[in-house]
Amino acid sequence: MEKRDYHYLGKDFPRKDGFARVTGKEVYPSDVALNGMFFGKILRSPHPHAKIKSIDTSEAEKMGAVCITYRDVPDKYFNVRLVSVPRSTYMDWQILSNKVRQVGEPFAAVAAETEELAQRAAESVKVEWEILPSYLNTEDAMNATENLIHDHVYLEDEKIEIKNNIACMRELTEGDVTAGFKEADVIVENEFVTPRVYHCQLEPRSSVCKPEPDGGVTVWPSTQALHNTRILIGELFDIPLNKVNVVRVTGGGHFGSGIHTNRVILINVALALKAGTPVKIIPDREGDIYEHCRYPVRYTLKVGAKKDGTLVAGEMKALVDIGSHHIQAFAFLGVLVGWWHSLYRCKNLKYKGIAVYTNKAPSCAMQGYGAPQVTFGVETTMSMLAEKLGMDYLEFRLKNYVGLGETFWGQGPTVRSTIRSDGVEELITRGAELIGWNNRQPPEKKTGRYRRGIGMARGFHTSGTGAPVPGEVKDYTTAMVKINEDGSVDVLTSLMDQGGGTLDAAAKLVAEELGVPFDKVGISPADTRSTGYDVCTHATRGVYCGGGAVLEVARKAKEVLLEYASRILEAPVHALKTRPDLEREQGEVYVDGMEEKSITIAEVAQTAMNNDWGTAIFAKSHRMIACPPAFTTFFVEVEVDTETGRVTIERVVAGSDAGVVINPSLARGQIHGGFYRGAGMALLEDTHYDEKTGRLTNLGLLTDYKMLGPEDLPDEEHFQTFFANTYEPTGPMGAKGIGEAALNPVPAAVASAIQNATGIWFTKLPILPEDIVKALRQKKEGIATFEPEKDKNHTIEREFLKIRSF
Amino acid sequence: MNERQIVLEVNGKEYKLTVKPNELLINVLRERLGLMGTKYGCGVGECGACTVLMDGNPVLSCQMLALSASGSKITTIEGIAQNGRLHPLQEAFLDEGAVQCGFCTPGMILSAKALLDKKPNPTDMEIKEAIRGNICRCTGYINILRAIKTASLKLSERSR
Repeated sequence: MEKRDYHYLGKDFPRKDGFARVTGKEVYPSDVALNGMFFGKILRSPHPHAKIKSIDTSEAEKMGAVCITYRDVPDKYFNVRLVSVPRSTYMDWQILSNKVRQVGEPFAAVAAETEELAQRAAESVKVEWEILPSYLNTEDAMNATENLIHDHVYLEDEKIEIKNNIACMRELTEGDVTAGFKEADVIVENEFVTPRVYHCQLEPRSSVCKPEPDGGVTVWPSTQALHNTRILIGELFDIPLNKVNVVRVTGGGHFGSGIHTNRVILINVALALKAGTPVKIIPDREGDIYEHCRYPVRYTLKVGAKKDGTLVAGEMKALVDIGSHHIQAFAFLGVLVGWWHSLYRCKNLKYKGIAVYTNKAPSCAMQGYGAPQVTFGVETTMSMLAEKLGMDYLEFRLKNYVGLGETFWGQGPTVRSTIRSDGVEELITRGAELIGWNNRQPPEKKTGRYRRGIGMARGFHTSGTGAPVPGEVKDYTTAMVKINEDGSVDVLTSLMDQGGGTLDAAAKLVAEELGVPFDKVGISPADTRSTGYDVCTHATRGVYCGGGAVLEVARKAKEVLLEYASRILEAPVHALKTRPDLEREQGEVYVDGMEEKSITIAEVAQTAMNNDWGTAIFAKSHRMIACPPAFTTFFVEVEVDTETGRVTIERVVAGSDAGVVINPSLARGQIHGGFYRGAGMALLEDTHYDEKTGRLTNLGLLTDYKMLGPEDLPDEEHFQTFFANTYEPTGPMGAKGIGEAALNPVPAAVASAIQNATGIWFTKLPILPEDIVKALRQKKEGIATFEPEKDKNHTIEREFLKIRSF
Repeated sequence: MNERQIVLEVNGKEYKLTVKPNELLINVLRERLGLMGTKYGCGVGECGACTVLMDGNPVLSCQMLALSASGSKITTIEGIAQNGRLHPLQEAFLDEGAVQCGFCTPGMILSAKALLDKKPNPTDMEIKEAIRGNICRCTGYINILRAIKTASLKLSERSR
């Protein structure tokens, strides 16, 4: 298969949901309003680690509020994230518990007729606490032998005792690392540290729940996974799944924070069931900041290469501070090695990863799911190796990258597939031309206060989590396509559109396949009672997996349509084709080679209905058998003020290999957004905790959670984007994903540009102005790598030695 | 608490409302008038999602008591399309791909409108300055800036 001329693919149309979004008519969870609706307030722990000795809600109840504590919710352990299969899903969550494990952890909730009353009721709840020792860093956590954050957790039915606050571990060896390093002519080894970034999706994760007369519930939640949310609610509250209806409402941003069913939703359901009336919860921003963050990773990476640039061995040891709960750190430890190993070919490798509980917000997926963290270290290491070997960065990468025909396993060791489309060379070559790579000067040549530097990094994300043999992660989508009696089409799936245009892409694929005008294809409202299972819109899988399923179903619906048409046109099905007739604003079916013999799709559908043949409709689950890498390459030019340490981003050249690009303008928007969040991670964004109080030092305020603003990014003329000319043979009409790939290499590219300006490699993110100033001083003493400050008693090596089982 | 009568002109329509002294403008707009286009993003005046125009100036409706808005003219995102035709800013946001999740969009468009109403041909810096209080977490602002420029061109062509 190859590219062909498309009517709609690769062309820009205003997004279908756009009109609602620019007129204020789009419905987000916080906008759902129902008759008799109560407002819910969540009570959050002021302590990082404590037990409830007593809790008194009587005052609140006297005010007319409905209250829930740990006594009012099902006593069940679960994991909020149901994307992985049960055998690798650790369960340490309860809806509410008599123990809190971080500041901001919910321990009770109230609902009342007005928001004001709910607030007053919440303030009247009296709690007596037993304060426990708290662990605000991995060192303290791993030294603890009693008063652990969790004493035990569950894996399926197995009860697992927790030791030293270690949530889980994972290791992997391929080949012979010792022998590999012996072959190495050069070895580079560094420790990398990446920040605890807050998603800062603009809508706090809100939820509305309505108890139904049949004992079921209808929920309008902020989630990326309608069906997993439904399954979890059904399981926890013992409600048959055909009475749990989770409705798709647009999320005001997710970035991964909605892959798991946020506890707000479960509290919402518990409150509504107890109140017997609909309840809405809109958490405040402070509450939201304590609910989720990006996994911070601290890791060592050692890689050896031969003189000719061949990589011979690599070793990585990673320590992940997961906070108060497991949002699937086991899967996360798996992908850390996956991202690394799938970037560059290296037959001997060794990996160990440890996830540690601390009394902080639980960390979870955020755009890239570990890839930006790992790509930062791997790309920095590749550039360092190239320098040591006197090779150009680009040449070194082209020699070693995992590409066409090779096996890759970005989503961890259990999800392996072969690469069938590869635009890496084009991305590197064209990007280099556009940025002027050949004129790039080495750092030694730069003088003066303001120094410019050009850097680069490449990366990828998997389009979904599919493989020929299914791995640890579920990865299918169900869709239905229905051709209406006027020739319009309904597409029904529970996919979400996070803003990137997933559902527009699905509509375009259907329009293209059926040969109907794009504006005749509608995306139906969706809920879990009327759609089949979809795992989640995550992992850059919307277009590839979701679109793939929708296209497959459209093909089947088209078979039904053509069978009806063949009866009318008296021609065999295989001789029939379809195309949009833009003058009549209709799709038409015609006999190939006898184009005068045609009929509109509306006429076919009507004839089929009036003759009692039926509707051209099809529904099916579909799983993709690969998760092709969506490659990206970023070239970045920065200016560093050597006196203040301020970094200005001057120019960006971003190349993306997304296969056939379905929505070019929206895809460019993904690249802009990915760069913006990636550069924020590189230069600014992090969350810190006060070690005494366990509170966030930003106190839950956005003014003290710095993000880049419009004035910090280059103008459009200085932000070039381009797409590789590739076709993914397994993809829907040649398409792959883009979303997360748009961020993954960005922190590494920014760090590379700063190195080119200053001569210093920074191995800790964010690279703050004060670090730059300090590093420049150290450089005068001859140190060219600015490493994270190490506590000699708490090196990764030492931590790993403590764990005997490793 | 003593409830008081206020008069608000919202999107050209006059409302007489009885409000509590502590009632916020955002809640009056969303819950009393059903104008859900005004978004709640932080509740403490940091994100700009609740921006509305008060007598043409952008204000944060989560930081304003309904009482203190009495007698003023409020414009929300629902009120800027004229006779079923989108405002040039709305059109430009659609055409230039400036909308992703859309949660910041109403506030962003209103901040931009306040600027363009006063200054039809703003410089890039003036545009950036005008939307500095509106956080967008999706787009990286590039298409938003372009959309505002496109709208400004359209508006100045129209006024010629």
